[in-house]
Amino acid sequence: MENYSPALDGVFQALADPTRRAVLGRLGQGPASISELARPFDMALPSFMKHIRLLEDAGWIQTRKEGRVRTCVLERRSFAAVEGWLSEQRRLWEGRTDRLERFVTKSQEPSE
Amino acid sequence: MNPPFNPDLDLSISRIIKAPRAAVWDAWTIPARFEQWWAPAPARCKVLSLELRPGGAMRTQISEGGAAFTPHMDACFLAVDPMERIVFTNALVAGWRPAAQPLMSAIITLKDHPEGVAYAAHVMHKDRADRDMHEEAGFYDGWGTVTEQLAMLAERG
Repeated sequence: MENYSPALDGVFQALADPTRRAVLGRLGQGPASISELARPFDMALPSFMKHIRLLEDAGWIQTRKEGRVRTCVLERRSFAAVEGWLSEQRRLWEGRTDRLERFVTKSQEPSE
Repeated sequence: MNPPFNPDLDLSISRIIKAPRAAVWDAWTIPARFEQWWAPAPARCKVLSLELRPGGAMRTQISEGGAAFTPHMDACFLAVDPMERIVFTNALVAGWRPAAQPLMSAIITLKDHPEGVAYAAHVMHKDRADRDMHEEAGFYDGWGTVTEQLAMLAERG
């Protein structure tokens, strides 16, 4: 595992808010633009941007601007740092087991 | 017989897989099948050796984003009981030679179940220095749960 020591206070503070957790949940499905992320919330854009900046400063997400669109993506290293190495290993093995299960059950279908 | 479970260092994954036991065994032991599930897509896995006998090599390579294949697993089988159990470790390489960077031993067990196979992986880890960082930082269970759920969402994405 790489040597990564984040400012953990900021990491946790960033999670202590439902809007920011919802944003992280949405980004778990893939990158999204600011306007797409803001849509579900009844909130002025400047207020929403504060949440985005906080997530970015804490290292949960990265943003990049292309033309007039700012896109956000999850920063996977923060998950690893906060969860700890054992959870990281668990996710690895859960993933492997999921894929094994899909592979062998798919092979049982008559069409295969 | 499995060794005792150490919650600080081990993880245990159990699953009922609705498939014949032979299908699960073959997925673990036939290289062309193993390659199809070991690495998460779009990464690709290539098996160099899968010598299912004590001391046999378990060597894989991985290719991410269409790049060249690079070393992934370099491990050694410790026990192989056909259709029942596979034990391997990366603390050793082929022929029981000590490995440079030992991390874990894994015990894979297959048992009959009315719906298919009771599949279990018991993975035991060597202690890691980076654990201490989390304890000093006051890492505790509540946050662990929240982040694990987020991570699962992320993994699904």
